[in-house]
Amino acid sequence: MDTNNNVYTVIYTAVVVVVVAAVLAFVASKLGPAQDANAKAETLRQMMSAAGIKPTDELYAMKNADILQLYADNIEEAYTIGLDGEKNGELSVSKDKIELVSKLKPQHKAILADGDATLPVYIFKEGIAVIPIYGAGLWGPVWGYIALCPDNYTIAGAFFDHESETPGLGAKIKDEAWFREKFTGKTVEWGEEPAFRLEKNVEATGATNAVDAITGATMTSKGLNEALNTWFKAYENHFGVGAFFNMLEEHADSETANDNEEE
Amino acid sequence: MAQKLKETILNPVLKGNPITVLVLGICSALAVTVQLKGALVMALSVIAVTGLSSLVCSLLRNTIPNRVRIIVQLVVVAMMVILVDQILKAGEGTYAIDKQLSVYIGLIITNCIVMGRIEAFALGNKPIPSLLDGLANGVGYGLILVIVAFFRELLGSGTLFGFQVLPAAYVPNNLVILPPFALILIGCIIWVHRALDKDLQEN
Amino acid sequence: MNKIFEKGGKLYWLHSTVDAFETFLHVPGTVTLKGSHVRDAIDLKRLLILVVIAAAPAALFGMWNVGYQHGLAMGQTGVHILEYFWFGFLKVLPLYLVSYIVGLGIEFASSQIRGEEVSEGYLVSGFFIPLIVPVDIPLWMLAVAVAFAVIFGKEVFGGTGMNIWNPALLTRAFLFFSYPNYMSGSDCWIAFKKGETAVADAFTGATPLALDGPAQYGTGFWDLFIGTVPGSVGETSVIAILLGAILLLWTGIASWKIMCGSVLGALVVGWIGNAAGITDIPCYMQLLYGGFAFGTVFMATDPVTSCQTECGKWIFGILIGMLCITVRLFNPGYAEGMMLAILLLNTFAPLIDHCVVSAHINRRERKLKAA
Repeated sequence: MDTNNNVYTVIYTAVVVVVVAAVLAFVASKLGPAQDANAKAETLRQMMSAAGIKPTDELYAMKNADILQLYADNIEEAYTIGLDGEKNGELSVSKDKIELVSKLKPQHKAILADGDATLPVYIFKEGIAVIPIYGAGLWGPVWGYIALCPDNYTIAGAFFDHESETPGLGAKIKDEAWFREKFTGKTVEWGEEPAFRLEKNVEATGATNAVDAITGATMTSKGLNEALNTWFKAYENHFGVGAFFNMLEEHADSETANDNEEE
Repeated sequence: MAQKLKETILNPVLKGNPITVLVLGICSALAVTVQLKGALVMALSVIAVTGLSSLVCSLLRNTIPNRVRIIVQLVVVAMMVILVDQILKAGEGTYAIDKQLSVYIGLIITNCIVMGRIEAFALGNKPIPSLLDGLANGVGYGLILVIVAFFRELLGSGTLFGFQVLPAAYVPNNLVILPPFALILIGCIIWVHRALDKDLQEN
Repeated sequence: MNKIFEKGGKLYWLHSTVDAFETFLHVPGTVTLKGSHVRDAIDLKRLLILVVIAAAPAALFGMWNVGYQHGLAMGQTGVHILEYFWFGFLKVLPLYLVSYIVGLGIEFASSQIRGEEVSEGYLVSGFFIPLIVPVDIPLWMLAVAVAFAVIFGKEVFGGTGMNIWNPALLTRAFLFFSYPNYMSGSDCWIAFKKGETAVADAFTGATPLALDGPAQYGTGFWDLFIGTVPGSVGETSVIAILLGAILLLWTGIASWKIMCGSVLGALVVGWIGNAAGITDIPCYMQLLYGGFAFGTVFMATDPVTSCQTECGKWIFGILIGMLCITVRLFNPGYAEGMMLAILLLNTFAPLIDHCVVSAHINRRERKLKAA
């Protein structure tokens, strides 16, 4: 048979492409659910690691099904807010509906454009609120989850992830536990500019809203700093007021304590 | 016949190693060799892709129109790569590694070894030898990848497969983690390889 | 006695080592066998000794400065010449021992393997290495870096005279990329004894270049010129380096074109940067900071790794100066651009020479055609 004539070539190519497309479509539809489950579980692990529900190592050792169960047991409420700080939607707390990291990119754009954002807030047991952050690192996106204590300004925990930062340098934001642990107990200064600082040698200044940048990963640290502040600014209207009253209360408490001592 | 088959299997691993002798596919050898685990998964993926692509192309070898043969090969290789990527993403245990390897799994399609073996071997040989040739070339590639990753993870992080093996007092060497060092290591492997095998030495 | 080391002798395999020691002490009496060669009294060994002598003021001052900076950190005042020098000498001596033992060891071994004479190139590299690293660098790190630089920078290319990069700078580059925490920041430039920490108020050990922002460039012109600032051992004192430069230029060992080119390039970029408002530092101050002076005088002029053509030397020097200041202005992560600039230009030196030569040939060809 002459395999070089035009009709044969066209038909052959068409058949090959159709067959390959069919195989890939079949595989994608078969494996799709398992892939989605992996992606969901990954997001939940990161959120629950930030919220301090279990140590990160344990979360990563757990099976997907157990992670979903753990989330269902611990989540109290999940909703979205706009840039004005008002609630503008409910997120189903059911374990099947989970906002994936891929949803953060359009939100990031909405924040920058000052448009209609639906920023997620997840309230876990004991009133710990988890919010996402998202921004550009050196080679690709960086994102993470910040857990806030019920007083709305103390950071209860954090988790950071990235797509393709340099291993051993920028990738430390995820790989090195000491980096995320440094955020625990720090504060977000709502209304200040900037609300949080991830810069060189800032811990030495004694500020409670500052963490030292990673040595040798200048651009990743810079990107993460910008991500933190962009998103904190977007959440400012939601958390800022509550945090202000909590601070006032604490201040008043310590004042009365001082008064008592004097008496 | 048996001799020829043995040659088909052993040559790509030793004397005709795709990385150290043909110097093909070194791009990914630089990118994914920071950690042993990633390198191992990458090696297995490449072995699967080279083996299966060679097999399929060998089966089709008498029907492929000569004028569009590169395109047909490309479609076959692309299909294999996407399959491997999808399977890695779906497995509970492999999801994290797939994320870590990110685009490099997809970039196996640009690995010259795959297309090179199809063009050079699979189109002119029966399916079984073609399969073996593809697998063996994948193994030859994977072997170098694992050797490089072994040194890079050991010296750059003090760990192997994520477990601390060097004492905590060891100060990890940052240069080893940067891609240029993979090139230096591959250079050293080529050096050793040529020193051992007199046939490879140039005058 | 030397019979057994000659060809066919029992210990012939050791001949390069024996030869190295013999010629280190005597000028060899051998002459070239055929053709005519004009021989100067100065051979490679005498030439290298001169370079070492030229770098000696910077080294001696550096040792004193190590003691002086340590004194400052401890809250002492005064100049205590002998006391500080002795402190610095004891600190720098181990660096020299490591540099020479490791470097020469590899050099001897590889000459032996190749069956060539041991060449003396490493005497100078080994002298420079302790001068361009932080004084508190752990010795094992220095040993690893020296081994890397000598093997991969020099021996794999064929030994002295064949290397692409300056081995001393390659050592520093290896340390810089391998152990960034030991090569930057505020702790590494001052020598501390075990358990000591700085006591002086508002003390900062960062080199002037590593400090953030021009407002903090506290050390003035004269401090930088004399060299009483923290930094690598030999690079701080511009005046001591200038003494060396005069000797090198007077004996004709170093190329004045490279030095002038480097200064010129730095001034131009420094001036543009200042005029464009990127930095507040006046351009002439750029010549005093960090390793610029040391690099220009001793590193860029290395005859093996720099350009050979006269026009190429100008291009080589000017590009080094420009690149160094460009890195300083635009990349705060790599405060010290001199090392990177010289290594990069080392890489391109053969290309520059090639372009210069072929441009020359083309010009002559055109003239010939016109005639």
